[in-house]
Amino acid sequence: MAGVVDVPQQIQTDAKIVVKAITSVFHLKKTRTEPAREFIALKEINLEVKKGEFLVLVGPSGCGKSTLLDILTGLAQPTSGAVYIDGNKVTGPALDRGIVLQGYALFPWRTVRQNVEFGLEIKKVPKRERRAISDNFIHLVGLDGFADRFPHELSGGMKQRVAIARALAYDPEVLLMDEPFAAVDAQTRESLQDELLRIWEATGKTILFVTHSIEEAVFLGDRVAVLTPNPGTLREIVKIDLPRPRHNSDTRSSAEFGWIRRKIWELLQNAPHESRHHLNAVPVAEAISPTASL
Amino acid sequence: MRLPAAVNSLLLRSSGVLIFLILWETAPRLAWVDPYFVPPLSIVVREIWLLLETGDLSRHLLVSSWRAVTGLSLALVVALPLGIILGRWLTGLASALEPLLRLLSQINPFAMLPLFLLFFGIGETAKVAVVTWVTLWPILFYTIIATRTVDPLQIKSAAALGVSRSEMLCKVILPAAVPTIFIGIRIGASLTFFILIAAEMLGAGSGLGWLVHNSAMNYLIPRIYAGATFIVLLGFLLNRLLLYIEASLSIWQGSQSGSPVAGQSRASSWRPDRGSAVAGTAILVLVLILGALEVRRLNQEALAGASSSSSHAKHFGTPADSSDGGL
Ligand SMILES: Nc1ncnc2c1ncn2[C@@H]1O[C@H](COP(=O)(O)OP(=O)(O)OP(=O)(O)O)[C@@H](O)[C@H]1O
Ligand SMILES: [Mg+2]
Repeated sequence: MAGVVDVPQQIQTDAKIVVKAITSVFHLKKTRTEPAREFIALKEINLEVKKGEFLVLVGPSGCGKSTLLDILTGLAQPTSGAVYIDGNKVTGPALDRGIVLQGYALFPWRTVRQNVEFGLEIKKVPKRERRAISDNFIHLVGLDGFADRFPHELSGGMKQRVAIARALAYDPEVLLMDEPFAAVDAQTRESLQDELLRIWEATGKTILFVTHSIEEAVFLGDRVAVLTPNPGTLREIVKIDLPRPRHNSDTRSSAEFGWIRRKIWELLQNAPHESRHHLNAVPVAEAISPTASL
Repeated sequence: MRLPAAVNSLLLRSSGVLIFLILWETAPRLAWVDPYFVPPLSIVVREIWLLLETGDLSRHLLVSSWRAVTGLSLALVVALPLGIILGRWLTGLASALEPLLRLLSQINPFAMLPLFLLFFGIGETAKVAVVTWVTLWPILFYTIIATRTVDPLQIKSAAALGVSRSEMLCKVILPAAVPTIFIGIRIGASLTFFILIAAEMLGAGSGLGWLVHNSAMNYLIPRIYAGATFIVLLGFLLNRLLLYIEASLSIWQGSQSGSPVAGQSRASSWRPDRGSAVAGTAILVLVLILGALEVRRLNQEALAGASSSSSHAKHFGTPADSSDGGL
């Protein structure tokens, strides 16, 4: 509570997204085996994303990636700290951010087109314009001819494309994506990655992309933010200097690709050991060295 | 090529009914059963024809349908908003109220019948109230369950766009809940007929239940069968109509989820659309309007009949009717 009060409503910045000292604490209720306690999901996260940048968040399960995305979306309030978009504090959900959730979360009672048009309906775009826009985005994700199908008639990869088209259709400047390709096979995944890069280059959106896969992170991102769990802390941001456009087969097999992959892998490997070691010895609050959040 | 197959399957599916109908005709004729108590099919059909010719049958049919549909609509008007509020917003209250609601819903409706007659008299109110009472509970329960169990991810993806409360309700919660709510409506509708016929037998001057009861009182055995046949038919039709509306509202489900009865047989051959949902609803509305007119006419006639010598009652020869009138 105290943290919320001294956070300014606006800040001066060139960055598209500023994440400032975000801490998120869950109050766990008493269970049969454990007393009520606090669980620190995110601790002092600081992050800046430039306009048009593709930033990837990687981290093991439970390190707070989805929690951070919920805060960016405006669906959850941080315990302290704030998120700024274009220098304005985020206070709730709005149409300037599009989200693709973990799991497709399509509306099964709506056709592909109606799903894509959902945000436009909320935005009160007239029907005829809606149709032109949805045609455009259905084409962009390669689903021409499927506009009138229902989600249960689509494959997993196709559903994922619909979810992306739905998030893009109402033209948000920021796209927040939570493990969007986790549920599809390797082949489909690579083609979806290629497509996402193509769409990103065509539309110039700022993208914040969450994944478990180091390979995916390196292939897609301008920078990769590595999170470590217990509590969720930003360990390091790795800059990916691979040349663009990357959607050809050479990128993945290049030596540099392998090297960066290795580096991130090590960051993820070492971190949990260290913190677990500390956790056993000292109270949680002191277990996190202040340098860890750099 | 497709026609013979369709005819074949139709024959196969209706063979049970056909055998039953043939037995109905032959058994009394060959005196396997007493033709006085079980008149052969042809006699019953002739009786139906006679009733149709005089317009009596369609009048009673319309009146019964009106009572059923009105009761059902009233139950919907009460149970839907209540269920949504309890399932979505007042979830704490919902769990607190649940034992009470369960208790109320488990009261045998037939036991309630005399009470309803006592409170509302033998007029239309009692019949409609009884139907409302029995259909209210399944609709309420299924609406609470349906709205409570909407996929949180779907709620979340709409909430992320900053939708308003009413948009959330109309564009997410209701569409997601419709298939489950319909299960409740169909359970309610199937109960409607049992209770309505019973109510009409106990205290009414019209309706299919009254027709059967009145025929029994006067030993008009073929007429009993004619009325009963129509009761079965009416229940079947209402169920069909609801299935039809349901299927057209939830085509998006495919055959893997939702109500298997509605989905599977239909998905392959026939795809209903919103147009048929409108048509189905229009039929229900028509029953409501025409039925209301008919009920009003009948009641006025009954009033007029009561003030003068009861010519109407004499026409049907109804000792039971006039004794019920004393309630
Ligand atoms: N509503 C909640 N109440 C209590 N704890 C929660 C809640 N939501 C998340 N958590 C906890 O916060 C931590 C971070 O969760 P989060 O979903 O952000 O992880 P994640 O990094 O997205 O994991 P994954 O990769 O598996 O999706 C987890 O340990 C989780 O148990
Ligand atoms: Mg997650």
